[in-house]
Parts: sequence; C-alpha cells; structure tokens
Amino acid sequence: MKSLNDLREFYLKTLRPDLKILDDRRKKIVRKLLLIGVPTFIVVGLCLLVILANELEINVVFVPFFLGIAVMAIAYHFLTKKFIADFKSSIIQRIVRFVDENLRYLSSACVSESEFKASRIFRHRIDRYRGDDLVQGRIGKTDVKFSEVHAEYKTETRDSKGNRRTQWHTIFKGLFYIADFNKHIRGEIVILPDTAERLFGRLGRKLQSLNKPRGQLISLEDPEFEKAFAVYGDDQIQSRYILSTSLMKRIMEFKKKTRRDIYLSFLGSSVYIAVSFAKALFEPRIFKTLLDFEVVQEYFEDLTLAYGIVEDLNLNTRIWSKQ
Amino acid sequence: MIVVLLAVIVVVVLIPVMMYNSLINKKNQVANVFASIDALLKKRFDLVPNLVETVKTYMKHEKSLLTKVTEMRAKAVSGRLSDDDRIQLDNQLTKALGGIMVAVENYPDLKANQNFLQLQASLNEIEEQISAARRAYNATVTTYNNAIEMFPTNIMASMMNYKLKNLFEIPEEERKNVDVGNIFKSR
Repeated sequence: MKSLNDLREFYLKTLRPDLKILDDRRKKIVRKLLLIGVPTFIVVGLCLLVILANELEINVVFVPFFLGIAVMAIAYHFLTKKFIADFKSSIIQRIVRFVDENLRYLSSACVSESEFKASRIFRHRIDRYRGDDLVQGRIGKTDVKFSEVHAEYKTETRDSKGNRRTQWHTIFKGLFYIADFNKHIRGEIVILPDTAERLFGRLGRKLQSLNKPRGQLISLEDPEFEKAFAVYGDDQIQSRYILSTSLMKRIMEFKKKTRRDIYLSFLGSSVYIAVSFAKALFEPRIFKTLLDFEVVQEYFEDLTLAYGIVEDLNLNTRIWSKQ
Repeated sequence: MIVVLLAVIVVVVLIPVMMYNSLINKKNQVANVFASIDALLKKRFDLVPNLVETVKTYMKHEKSLLTKVTEMRAKAVSGRLSDDDRIQLDNQLTKALGGIMVAVENYPDLKANQNFLQLQASLNEIEEQISAARRAYNATVTTYNNAIEMFPTNIMASMMNYKLKNLFEIPEEERKNVDVGNIFKSR
C-alpha cells in the first residue's frame, strides 16, 4: 500500500498544477457568491426594517429571511455543481488510481438501495436514499465495492394550526462497504454497536436478547468485543465459525482505527460494513484553500481506510472451502 | 382479599415453573451443541482415508504416521468408546494430522497437487467448524453452570440434582506449539 511519502511525491509532481487551476476557479466562485450575497443580505435587511417599522405580525419576519436563504442556496448549488464534478473527475479519480490502478471510480454512482437493504443492518423503511463516490474493483482475491451513502426516513406531523410538517431523520450516513467474504456463510450474522451493554452491563444483555426480530443474541468470549458490539445470528455454531477469535480482534482493531460507530453483517457470500461519518467524504472545500497537502492527505486517508479493510480483516486468506 | 391470595398463589406456582423450564432448556442446549461437535468430529475422521490415499504415494518416508492415523480412524468408527476415550482419541488425531501437515512441507510436488490442496481446504474448514462448535459448547455450558450456581435458580437446580458440567479444555500438550524436531524424532 502507498505511504504518505509516496503521496507527497505524487501530490507535488502530478496533482499540484491541477489543484492550482481548480483553486483559482474556487476563488472565482467565492467572489461570485459574495457578489450575490451582499445585495441579498442588504435587501433582506431592508425588508426586516420595513416590517418592524410597520409593526406587522412577527411571523412575517421569516418570509424575507427564508427567501434570502433560498436565493443563496440556489446560487451556491448552480455555481458549485460543475466545479465539484470537475474536481472529482480530476483529483479524486487520480488519487483512487494512485492507491490502486485497478480500482474504478464513479463520482455520481453509489451502492444501490437494494444492496444497502440486503445487508439487513438498517431495517427501517427508507424514504430518501442517495450517495456518491463509488469505488469498485478487485483487491487480491477479493471483490470490493464501496461508496458514501445517506439514507433517511421522514415523519409527517400536524402542528396545532393543522399545518403539515415533514421532518427528515437519518438512518445512516457515511461509508458503506461490501466485500466478498472468505468463508461460506450459512444463515446471517449482524453486528451492531452495543449501546445497552455500555449503559447497563449484564442487564443490558438481557434487554438485548428481548429484541426478538433480530435472531439469537450471540455472546462471545472476547470481552472487549462484547463491550463494543451486540451480535445477532441464526445459529450459535455458524456465527462462531464466521466470527473466529482472530476476526473479532481484527474487527476491534479496525473499529479503533476509524474511531467511529461501525456496523457489520455477514450474509450470502459477502461481508457488509457501514462506517458512520458526520462529514461528507471526497468533497472539495469551497471556502478554504485546496492547495495544501493536508487536503489531499485527508482524501487519501479516507480512501485507504476503506481500501485497507481487505487486509485488516484478512479477506485474502482463502484456506477454507471457499476460494 | 381473595384477589391478593390468588395473585400470591399464581406467583408461587409460576416462578418455580419458569425456573424449572429454563433449567431444562439450558441442559438441552448443552446436549444439542455436544451432538453437533460429535457430528463434526466424525466428519473429520471421514476425511482420513482420502488424505492417506492422496498422500501415501508421495510421502514414502512417513508410512508409520499414516498407518497410525488409519488405525485411529478404525477405532473411532468401531463405536465402542466411552465419551472420555472419544475425546482422547480426537486429541490424538489432531496431533497426528498436525504432524502430517508439517511433514508435507518436505514434498513440494505434493504441496502443488490439486487433490491435496482441496483436501487441505476441507480439513481447514472442518477444523474451523470444530473450533466454532467447541466455543459454542463452552458458551452454552457457561450459561448452564451460571444458572445452576446463581440464586435463585440454584435452589431449583439442586432439587433437580443438576451438576456442573466441564468446559472443553485443550490438553496441555496441544497448547504447546508443534515441535518439528520432536515429530521427526518420534517416528
């Protein structure tokens, strides 16, 4: 796998010239946003003064305010759309190839909703599903596929005045990863972050086992793993066949590396891993410079986090009946 | 008043029943997993003839090892062993198989043989399954032992005459890494 020094060399030789061009475009976009923003701000301010002066109903204050935000949002969207696409096809594409030239990158594609649902990790009804930055390829003997995913559901409520309010709730946002697993999987095993155990200890485990729809709660020998995760599986033996002591240790190490909530499932012939990210990955910054090495480093590190899973979980070791 | 009395009777009857059933459940779980282990161990013994056939034409110097393994299988299949004897025999087979796999390192032709590679994968698969089954057994036995020792189910358990069960332990000799020198010397 490529080191940071390799990346620095790649950055200086290959990326920097194009980053400069893109950064100039970025600065132009910021200028245009200011050109639209300042007048908008003034207009909104004047409207507010007029409203307050005429002592109109206080709710009317929101109208110019939201109109101002809408104008800025639309301007932002139109000005940055092409820029983001060009940035991805130029910079991100090359970083992906740099990590491994056999990987394919598609900036506007993502893991499909059916594959996301097939993992059985998140079983809530999905009302809005989107994603981008799909990376696909074969690493050693393992086929992998991952992208950013944002899945949400909505709730509609009627407030006291009878108005309908739609609220969106996030089911999952972050990196979603699918890989060919190195053992035959019989049944399904789902590994979720263990919130109850952290709070309630043994009583938490009793409460978890009441979560019937999920299959049996499997209690495993690794105490660190048990504290961090709750494991649900169809069969006691098959779950332990998949979750060997060494795999549990590896999953624990990977979780510590990401420093985030992770979810896993094993079913069919694949392992599914969901890593929760609050930030958007592989997006260019608009309001800060793109020229620093740290910018490229962050993309590289996020990418190698996903790319390294095959090695971290030892998926290329094919000594059992599945090849 | 009558309602309170009825409630007390229901509780006094219900709780022991629940405890009794829960203990039976745990005992049966243990038996269930033990049966699975037994089935897997049999499967492993069934791989022995195939292994001996594939290996013997190449490993001309390892004849004694191979005959030992064939004998072990015959003993296992004969079905006249106690539980403890079965476990002992299984441990012996694990050691012998380990010895064969180490010896294979000296025969590069054998290592590349397709049949052998497939066999090795099957053996690894079975070993992994057995390991998983052993861990599952220990987990179910721990649950059972907990119920027998903890209050209040320990009262019910002693009434049912339930005893503690042993966990699967790896014998001391197996825990030490396979010493290649010893294997060649002992032949």
